Order: sequence, then C-alpha cells, then structure tokens
Amino acid sequence: MRLFWLLFSYEWRHFRAAKGLVLLCALLLLTGLYGIYYGTTEIERQRQHLTTLPELTRRNVEELKVKFPGPTDAGDIGYYHTTYAVHHPDAWAALSLGQRDINPYYVKLRLLGLQNQLYATDNTNPMKVLSGNFDLAFVLVYLFPLLIIALSFNLLSSEREEGILTLLLAQPVSPGVVVGAKLAFRLAVVLGLAWLLSAVGMLWAQVPLDGRVLTWLGLSTLYCLFWFGVALIITALQRTSAFNAVTLLGVWLLLVVLVPSLLNLGVAAAHPVPQGIELTIKQREEIHAGWDRPKTQTMNRFFALYPQWRDTATIRERFVWRWYYAFQHLGDLAVAKQAAAYANGLQQRYDLVEKLNLLSPAINAQGSLNALAGTDLPTHLKFQRSATAYHDALRAFYYPFLFRKVEFTHKDYAQEPTHTFTSQPELSTALRGLVKLLLSVGVVFAAGLLLLRARPINPR
Amino acid sequence: MNYILEAKELRKEYPNKLALQGLNLQIEPGEVFCLLGQNGAGKSTTINLFLGFIAPTSGAAFVNGMEVAANPLKIKEHLAYIPENVMLYPHLTGLENLALFSSLAGFKYKEAELLDYLHHAGLPAEAVRRRVGTYSKGMRQKVGIAIAVAKHAKVLLLDEPTSGLDPKASNEFSQLLTQLSTEGTAVLMATHDIFRAKEVGTRVGIMREGELVDVRPTAALNAQELEQLYLTYMHN
Repeated sequence: MRLFWLLFSYEWRHFRAAKGLVLLCALLLLTGLYGIYYGTTEIERQRQHLTTLPELTRRNVEELKVKFPGPTDAGDIGYYHTTYAVHHPDAWAALSLGQRDINPYYVKLRLLGLQNQLYATDNTNPMKVLSGNFDLAFVLVYLFPLLIIALSFNLLSSEREEGILTLLLAQPVSPGVVVGAKLAFRLAVVLGLAWLLSAVGMLWAQVPLDGRVLTWLGLSTLYCLFWFGVALIITALQRTSAFNAVTLLGVWLLLVVLVPSLLNLGVAAAHPVPQGIELTIKQREEIHAGWDRPKTQTMNRFFALYPQWRDTATIRERFVWRWYYAFQHLGDLAVAKQAAAYANGLQQRYDLVEKLNLLSPAINAQGSLNALAGTDLPTHLKFQRSATAYHDALRAFYYPFLFRKVEFTHKDYAQEPTHTFTSQPELSTALRGLVKLLLSVGVVFAAGLLLLRARPINPR
Repeated sequence: MNYILEAKELRKEYPNKLALQGLNLQIEPGEVFCLLGQNGAGKSTTINLFLGFIAPTSGAAFVNGMEVAANPLKIKEHLAYIPENVMLYPHLTGLENLALFSSLAGFKYKEAELLDYLHHAGLPAEAVRRRVGTYSKGMRQKVGIAIAVAKHAKVLLLDEPTSGLDPKASNEFSQLLTQLSTEGTAVLMATHDIFRAKEVGTRVGIMREGELVDVRPTAALNAQELEQLYLTYMHN
C-alpha cells in the first residue's frame, strides 16, 4: 500500500503539471454549474408558471360571475370555465429534467371532450427542445465520460512512449499497483468533481435529504466507474496513446450516440403507436358528427353508459347542454381504444428500453436519474391518468346540474373539484438501474483485469 | 558457488526471430561482465530477461539465486538498471525524480543525501532543482546513474549507459563502476564500446545472432586484441 500511495501522490504532481487537464476539469466544473443553473432555472420557471394557474382560474371565475350574475345553466359554466390539471415537479427534477421539457406539465381543461385537450398543449418552442436539456444529468451522463477519456487514454502509454516506464518498472513495484494508483487518482478527480457538482446541485435545488441522495451518488459513481473500466480494457491492450484515444472516443460514440439512436429506431419499429394527431382528428370528427346525429341516438348511447341519468326528460329543444356534453363524451369514448393504445405503446416502448438498456450504460444512467427525479415517461403517463381522472371528476360534478336541471349559482364555484399532481420518484426503476450499472462495472473491470493478466505490461 | 546473475539455457523466440538461443551465463558478485555485439545480437534481450520485462521462451534467468519469472518483484530489489536513454518525468526536477525512484525502491533519503548522489553522479549543482524537461541527454543519464547508485543494488544492469555522456563524464562513470565492483556489486553491461569494456570489465562476452559465441577475461587481452577478436566474430 505504501507504493500505491506514493504513486498516487506523484500522480497529483503529474496532474498539476498537465495544465490542459486542469483546465479541462475547471471547464467541466463550470459546465456542471451551468447545468445546475439551467435545471433549477427551468424548474423554477415551471413552478412560477404553475403558481399563476390558480390565479387564471380565479380571474376566469370572476369574469363568469360578471357574465352570469345570477343562477344560470351549468352548461354555460362548463363551456366557458377553464381549469387546470397541474403536474408539480419534485425538487430532484432540477437535476434531471428528463421529459419535462417535451411533455406538458399542465393541461388546460374545460368540460368538453378530454382527448383533444390532453394533446392540445404545446407550450415549448420545438427548436429549443431539439437541442435537449443541459442539466446536471446531461453533464454527468454525456460529458463526464469525455473527461474520463481525456484523463485515461494515455494511462500507461504516455510513459511507455516517453520511455519512463522502463525505469519505473525496473523498480520493485508491480505493474498492477502502477495502473491501480493511476486509475485511482483519476477516479478520485472525476468522482470528486461529480460529487461536488451533485452536492452543489442538491443544495441549490433544495432536495430532501433522503435515500435518493445515496441513490444519485451511487448511480453517478457506478457510471463513472464503468467508463474507467472501459479505459482499463483499452489500457490493457497496450497500444499507442493515439490508438487508445480513438478507440475510447469510438466507444463513447457507440454507447452514448449510436446505440441509443438504434435502440430508439428499434423500439419504435417493435411497438408502433398511433399518432396523437390522428387520435385528436378522429375524436373531433366523432364530436362534429354528433351535431348531425338524432339526439335520441346520442342520448341512448350515453344512457347505456350512465343509466343513472336515463330518467331525465326527453330532449325536444334544438340545443341543450346535456346533449352537447353527452356527444362530447361519446367522442372521447370513440377514441378510447386508440388513446389506450397510444399510452400502452409508449409504456411498452419504455419497458423495452428498460430491458435493453444494459446495452448502453448511458441510457441506463440517464433513465435511472430521470426515474429518481420523477421526470421519466411513466411519471408523465401517471400525470395523464390523473388528469383524466380529474376530467371524470369535473363531469361527475357538472352532470347533476345538467341532468337534474339544477341552476349553477356563484357559491357552486367553490365546490368545483381541483387538481394537483406531484411527481413521485420511480425508485424501483432507479434501483434496477443501479444494479445493472453495477453489473456493467463488474463486466468491464473483469475484462480489463483478465486482459492485464493475459498480457503482462511490457514497458517497451 | 553462488552466482548473483545466472542464465540457464535461456532462450527467447519471437514469431519471426530467434532473439536469444540457449544462453548460459554466470556472474559473480563484484564482477563486471561486458556484453559486446552488434545491434540485434541479443544484448538488450538478455538484460530484459534478467529484468523480467519479457518472458523467456525456455530456460531460466536467476538473480541472487531467485528465478526471475517466479519472483518478478523480489528480484528487482537486487537490481538497478540504466537504459541507453534514461527518460524521467519531465515536469519534475532531477532531485524530485531521484526522490521518487528511490522511494519506489524502498529508500527514504534526506534532501542532503539525494543532493550528494546527484553530485557524485556528476549532475551540475545548478541543474538539480531544474525541471528535467530542460536537461540534455547526458544530464538525464547522470540522474539515471544517481538513481541506480542510490538503490544500493547487488546488480547493475546497464544498456549502453555511457551513450550521451561526454568523455569526461564517461570516464567518471567508469571509475564509479570500478568502485562499485570493488564494493561487491556485480555489473552486466551491454555496450558497443570495446575500449570501455576493456577498461572496466572483468570479463567480456561476444554475442552474435542471439548466441554468446565467446567469453574472455579482459586481463588476458589488450584493447587491440579484444577489438581484433570482436571484428573476427563480426565478419565470420
């Protein structure tokens, strides 16, 4: 151990002398801080936006009270009254934004058909989404491997190429100790940076100090270890620094860019999902057709589903709200299968990626961090289900007014259901990811050590 | 007789080259054995086999009675090595390089002692605290000599050690070798320098195409005779 620590301490001197690497570490630190700033700012923007929604609802109610000063038909209120299903972020979302930029974090709802409202929200500039998130998770998953490559591509090769290795290995020191000390020092630098940035991020985002702190640190540590394992394999091949650099960058390109892209294409082909726009158009056509259908036909279909309202009076008027909302709802039901297929398809794609993400620790790490932060697809689907349940609750609130012909008064606004949904971490997914990363680390280190054993280090 | 260095039927074969064929060699403590031969004759291969840098195809090398292949680390406690071109950490000073390599060898010297080793190796005082990146080849060679001497090894393995040294420094190095040998240090030196071999060696071995073709005590030959012998083998 004495020799290990001696070499470790000299690695610090070598590192200090390599100004480019020091600069690179400083740059990555700044990049990580920017990632934290970006993530916390984005989540704060979303939070601010969400806090304005109750005020918008309140103003809408005030306007409706002016528009309808006395008791009125609840159908008018259901049509003009806007309320919101809101998806509050967890504090961890600031560190791993996941899909919160592409999936809506609130849904503007009226008593009309749900499906077109669920998919109508598009509150982000697509050009901005194209560039992706620059949060801490991005820095850890995509940029840290590049730092590890920069630090490790010439782990032994530079000393071999400079001729120092012959003198070094002529001393009574095992090549394994030399490699171990070098690797350990680089690991300390990288993990020091990763942990420092994680700590700053957690403090900045004010995350609750629970088990997720350890899970986050475990995921980032194992992910970095995986890349050091890859570097160990390449080092064990005992080729030139140029070969090592090109090979490591090739592996980075493969695991971080190519495999995720191919996986994306593969799961899309394996689980095709109907387009949201097709669903919306079909629902809209169904609703528009409702105007032309005989009212009895519409109401009989509706009463078959909601027999409790069957005893309400036969519609003889040209227009009544209960008929209008009935065919709105039937429009939703007409696309219920497509809506379920859409959600199931997305979930199946996600599940398939979950199964195959062992192929790319980058996907695994990103998915696990998103799951930890409650910003992954399952969380969004949960929010959609919650929004659907909220719409059901709104219908259940308004139907007695509509079918019993009870007038809606100002005090009834306060009785209207409200919605809130806060992301919950998908801890089981994150822990599964942790185990898979551990497996990946085991595989690369075992391969590296076996290679080192099979090909003893030649100092020349 | 306990030999400090011994090779028994030592053979090293590469896929397209026989680098060393059945070398048998015994070197006693205090002996300076000079290996003469052209490039590719097997001199450096012999040294690399004793250092454990390469594994023999067959046969065995022994250092202080221990087989190299079985004791790769232990034997290095008894060996010091000076390559033809000593390369050191360029961003460390000569003093820091010496401190590092001495520590790796298990010696913890005070600064004054380190300075003393560097001084005796002939490194100018003004250079000891300069970064090695600014050193000439000869200056690096002197730090290499200091590293080897500071290790107090029983055996010195030298591969063209005076390459890059000026005549004065080469002469001082020869004196140092003589002094070390009188203290009981065995030296195995690969060299092209016949006159240096005659000057410091107790025996010379001539290698050709991986084979030790002749071994003579230097006392039995003068420089011209040694040169003639060498040239005869090279031309046959």
